[in-house]
Amino acid sequence: MSVTFDRLPPLPLTRRDALLGGAGAAASLLVPAGALAQTRLQVTEGNVAPLVIAVPNFVAGTPADAEVGANVSQVITNNLKRSGLFAPIDPAAFIERISNIDVAPQFANWRTINAQALVTGRMTRQGDGRLKAEFRLWDVPAGQQLTGQQYFTSPEYWRRIAHIISDQIYERLTGEKGYFDSRVVYVDESGPKDRRIKRLAIMDQDGANVRYLTRGADIVLTPRFSPTTQEITYMEFGQGDPRVYLFNVETGQREIVGNFPGMSFAPRFSPDGQRVIMSLQQGGNSNLFVMDLRSKSATRLTDTPAIDTSPSYSPDGQRICFESDRGGRPQIYIMPASGGGAQRISFGEGSYSTPVWSPRGDYIAFTKQGGGQFAIGIMKPDGSGERILTSGYHNEGPTFAPNGRVLMFFRDPPGNSGPSLYTVDISGRNEQKVPTPGFASDPAWSPLLS
Amino acid sequence: MNLAKVWDKLKQVDRSMFASIFLHVLVIGWGLVTFATRPLEATPVESMPVDIISADQLSKITAGIKTGQKENPKPLVEKVAEAKPIDEAVGKVAEKKPPVQTAASEPETPKPVEKPAEKKPDPPKQVAEEKPKDEPKPLEKKEPPPKVDPIAEALKKDESKKPPPKPQAKAAPPPPPKPKQDYKFDQSKITALLDKREPTRQAATGTQLNSQASLGTSRGNSVTLSQSELDALRARLTKLWNLQAGTEKPEELIVDIRIRLTPEKRLAAPPEIVSRGTSPRYQAAADAALRAVLQAQPFDMLQPATYEQWKDMIVTFDPRQMFQG
Repeated sequence: MSVTFDRLPPLPLTRRDALLGGAGAAASLLVPAGALAQTRLQVTEGNVAPLVIAVPNFVAGTPADAEVGANVSQVITNNLKRSGLFAPIDPAAFIERISNIDVAPQFANWRTINAQALVTGRMTRQGDGRLKAEFRLWDVPAGQQLTGQQYFTSPEYWRRIAHIISDQIYERLTGEKGYFDSRVVYVDESGPKDRRIKRLAIMDQDGANVRYLTRGADIVLTPRFSPTTQEITYMEFGQGDPRVYLFNVETGQREIVGNFPGMSFAPRFSPDGQRVIMSLQQGGNSNLFVMDLRSKSATRLTDTPAIDTSPSYSPDGQRICFESDRGGRPQIYIMPASGGGAQRISFGEGSYSTPVWSPRGDYIAFTKQGGGQFAIGIMKPDGSGERILTSGYHNEGPTFAPNGRVLMFFRDPPGNSGPSLYTVDISGRNEQKVPTPGFASDPAWSPLLS
Repeated sequence: MNLAKVWDKLKQVDRSMFASIFLHVLVIGWGLVTFATRPLEATPVESMPVDIISADQLSKITAGIKTGQKENPKPLVEKVAEAKPIDEAVGKVAEKKPPVQTAASEPETPKPVEKPAEKKPDPPKQVAEEKPKDEPKPLEKKEPPPKVDPIAEALKKDESKKPPPKPQAKAAPPPPPKPKQDYKFDQSKITALLDKREPTRQAATGTQLNSQASLGTSRGNSVTLSQSELDALRARLTKLWNLQAGTEKPEELIVDIRIRLTPEKRLAAPPEIVSRGTSPRYQAAADAALRAVLQAQPFDMLQPATYEQWKDMIVTFDPRQMFQG
């Protein structure tokens, strides 16, 4: 799955642009450099609205590339639209038909339909069988190219190319890292509610390319992605006690993590991917342990007569947040990664569980139970700024997108149906259902693939 | 038997009862109908005041409120200043020629705030004289000679903040205009004076605002632009400034853009970002602010009379208020 890329140079200035630029430079000469007293104006309010963007079909480099060109622009349009930060224009409104991306578009045509940004691109099958993808992102009001890239890859990875281009557009226009070139591992559920078959599945973040990793003979729970490798850790129980496993997505290789007496569960990788932190059952209680994947040595982090579980590292690896009922009801605590004094940070009504630290480090997401409802929320690592993003009959298991701006979780409606995956922005806006072929729960977002 | 008697009595009672009930119903029904109709008539009346409010008035009112909290006396002065020029204009019209002279002197007193800007236009004055269309410029010509005296006086008066002194100042300026009276005798010049009256109203409003600003705010330069113009410009940029939901750390995304405009109210040069930042988030924020400025063309809300004030502006796009908490 190799993708190579180069930066597309900006187009040479047309004669008209050069004239305009010259006029501007001349005008700036006329104005005294240190204008004595300038009028100053403060604008403190704006619109929080999706950015209007036009993504016409990518131009076909050869007649055979028309389909992939249309598909790529469709995936990009879908990604940008689902993010909630962009409002793609219906192609039916387009005035100009892009036929050559090496010529600047007629910006007036795109201003007329209120486009703020325009994406033009071209897909070309190379002589060696590889696919070349080029795109340019234009600022329509300014009439300038913001970014441009070209990629070479195998034709079957056209969808990944579309995700990578989506990330480029997202990053340039929002200034934040993208998250489209990523995957999600989750638990696929099928069959009647009392005899559910649970299989590990993996898909692109937009729900495409679903692949099943286990056959469903044993129950699988709480899959978690490694931040650095294409590995997953999860809990599985068949005949014996629940165990924590490692699973390599690429090779399909599976191994058990440690060999402990009693249950081991709620595993999660450290930020460097070298360790797995998890809960070990000890009598009626459970404590946190961390295991080094190379040396296979396990270290105890907590020793309390309570249930400590759901540990999650801070992105710098210095601290751990986890759930504990040592104070009565389950609450969220934070302690140093090496163990030691834990500090409670959740003090709201109800109980808190499944804490997970944002890859950006600014928030901890959690499931909050109270008043007969399950809510998904976030709070700062010091416990302040708690914000409920969604609540209802049953919402659980938040996981952060690689850029920390979007959460995915699962929702189980009352009745005999099954759970589904949803995404929501950390501002609480733009809740979206993630399409999956069957019922789905326990999502875990991967890091960016590239 | 008893039942029959009771029945008869009831019948008798019923007649009177029916009569009274009927009358009551009539009266109450009439009352209901009449009272019901009155509110219907009242509703259209309520909509009347909405039309009365103009954009200028609104902006001035809001401006007064914003600055009023800290320094109450200053806004009061502003109102007084506005009212006075209106009275003077009326008086001038009634007095005919002599009032015209005073009118020329009056604009001068307010102009002191604009001192540097107005003096420059001297060359244009000649052009204005040749072309009657440029009405504001002739006004400026007359103003400069009296300016020196009135400025100092006006400043002193501003410090005192007392409305009464202002009339004195106005009295003082009239002497310089007296020589101008000679010009009045020429019929052509009289017509020029008449033309000037309309511009004087515009200039007067501008000048009044300036005097207020000098009293109330430390920014002497911005004062010359009318609040309504600035508010309209701000409203246009607010409408076009597009931000993403869930923006974090907005204090890192404050963007200053220098805008230079032509008298035709279009950009004379590409807008220039004068604040500094290197992060991708800042770059995206700067692009968004630039888009707002570019799309705001032409800046029709700005008045030609105040070109000197808006030909070179710095607009600050500050998203902090939008994403607090």
